[in-house]
Amino acid sequence: MAAVAEKNPPGKAPPKKERRGARESSAQTNQWSTWALLLPTLIVIAAFFLLPLYYIFMFSVALRRFSPTEALAALNGELEGPTGDLWGRLVSNDVVVRFFGTELAVPAILIGVVLAVLLVLAVTGSRIRNAGSWVVGISFALLLAPFLMLPAGNNLLRLVQFTSEGQQLNLFFKSVSMAMTSSVIAVLIALPIAYFLAFCVQRTKYVWLLIVIAPFLTSYLLRIFAWKVILGDQGLINSGLMSLRVISEPLTFLIYSQFTVIIVLTYAWVPFICLPIFLSLETMDRRLLEAAMDLGASRWQAFFRITLPIAAPGIIAAFLFVFIPSIGEYITPTLVGGVEGTMFGQSLAAQFVGGSFNWQYGSAMALFLLGVVLFITFATARFLRAGGGSVST
Amino acid sequence: MAAGTSTFVVISPNGKRLLTLFFGLFLIFLYLPTVLLVIFSFNDSTVAAFPLSGFTMEWYSRAFYDDQVRKSLLASLQVALISAFFATLLALLAAYPLARRRVWGRGVLSALLLVPLVVPTVVLGVALLLLFQRGLIPLGLGLPSIMVGHTIIAFPFALLILLPRIAGVDRRLEEAAQDLGASGLQTFRLVLLPLIFPSIISAYLIAFVFSIDEVVIASFLSSAQVTYPVYLYSGLKFAEKTQSLIPVASLLIVISFILVIIAEVIRRYGDRRAVGQ
Repeated sequence: MAAVAEKNPPGKAPPKKERRGARESSAQTNQWSTWALLLPTLIVIAAFFLLPLYYIFMFSVALRRFSPTEALAALNGELEGPTGDLWGRLVSNDVVVRFFGTELAVPAILIGVVLAVLLVLAVTGSRIRNAGSWVVGISFALLLAPFLMLPAGNNLLRLVQFTSEGQQLNLFFKSVSMAMTSSVIAVLIALPIAYFLAFCVQRTKYVWLLIVIAPFLTSYLLRIFAWKVILGDQGLINSGLMSLRVISEPLTFLIYSQFTVIIVLTYAWVPFICLPIFLSLETMDRRLLEAAMDLGASRWQAFFRITLPIAAPGIIAAFLFVFIPSIGEYITPTLVGGVEGTMFGQSLAAQFVGGSFNWQYGSAMALFLLGVVLFITFATARFLRAGGGSVST
Repeated sequence: MAAGTSTFVVISPNGKRLLTLFFGLFLIFLYLPTVLLVIFSFNDSTVAAFPLSGFTMEWYSRAFYDDQVRKSLLASLQVALISAFFATLLALLAAYPLARRRVWGRGVLSALLLVPLVVPTVVLGVALLLLFQRGLIPLGLGLPSIMVGHTIIAFPFALLILLPRIAGVDRRLEEAAQDLGASGLQTFRLVLLPLIFPSIISAYLIAFVFSIDEVVIASFLSSAQVTYPVYLYSGLKFAEKTQSLIPVASLLIVISFILVIIAEVIRRYGDRRAVGQ
């Protein structure tokens, strides 16, 4: 096939070059057009995704809020901290740079440069074998960097503030446990459903699959709203039970509690989880089961020793797909969580839009959340690829 | 679709009945909230509670005449139409090289392009807030900013739809076209595009439905004119407003449900055409 660049005017006969194999021919000469195609996307992602995240990073370590004497004292190592004097000498109030309108410490810029270099290396295709491990490393660095860069001390390093105050960290762990609970329950519910669809329905299974999944794709917010209606003091459950004279007063734990948040999160995610589990069950080789039963296994044995292990990556992937976003959940706890069921995402948002304008502290919280999420994601990446991946790379 | 398909049944009849029952209950549980919403939208009462008070269309007419509702719906529509367009366009531009050409750093690139999927929307919303308010791109708050945010988040979904589809188109079709003298652009336009067109539509619809419902980023980046989900979200905090919000909400659910079904049907149809060729 003649090597044809996309810049040839349409209709013109291709140059008379020797016909080469399809696989090798276009690759070299078309590198320009390939990157030209990728460039818009890369620019958009860089400008509107990477850059904002960079800002979060920078804001979390910006020194702006402190009085000059305080900052100077800290940076000169007069306050105790893991970095001691070295950084204090490197960074002084005079060397603070005006960068994108924010004053930043030099080490922060250094780290930014390192990240940028890594990114460029990756994109230009050096032989970095395992991109995943790079990202794990980078996200870990994101988490640790603020600790390493500036001296610790009261009110000086926001991440230290964040972790030592305890309150926000407690909230974070509470959010993680709520997310984990709802994800586990969701998987337990989705498993029989996926099993049913994969094994018990023959001809119309994809129709039923669509029926199961469609609600997930329509309006999350409105379905939470519907749950408020169901669980409220005068909602379906309470008014129904009361009119049946089962209870005399509305059940209070139903709404505005941790229980509510977990129920609603589970409800919201179950349709979504069904898909990867279904796919891994569906693509399993049934003859294995047939062979097992020929060899004398009971149905339960076949299930536990063959079906489950084969479907395990899909199940774990499904769990992770739900667990990871749920940690930073924001809407559900606000609407149905009340005071008892608050989650980390709400607290994070409150730093920015709640009227407190504590952007630096909020950035540190966002950085922390992002670091944890990225870390979990890429550390478990092999499950996500195996169980849920459909992208052919 | 299963490797080595056999119709071997691995579940007992009782087990089957039990599972079917479970499935039925599950479906009821799944659709109950939506059905309830629709029921309550016709309920003649200011409180969304049982027992039902009577049939009325008043809530719908009130919603229809409500200025704020209409403006926010319009804003949502604008944002969704445009952000879905750009998300699909960018995904198409990125999917073609990734699927067809040898790209250096392809694994990392794909991972990078899909990372917005895992970033918590709160974090992204906050980050964009910083960027647009205090950062290099002083777009400020408002609908354009929301469009940008939605494009970023919807883009990986569109990519996940388009990439396998483009990769799945038989290369020999393109090779044949080029053997016959077509340039790259012609090949794309006359051979590839018609085959993947249903997936493009499907990707667009998914991005659209996603944007119509998105509330986190929209609430961070809204200024004077809010999108409908943000309007709904702020209204939900007040119990007395609940009933008035129900009609439009239930209508939207039904519409987006229909759109999703359409998107899937189109995708299915496109699959059959491209593969069964």
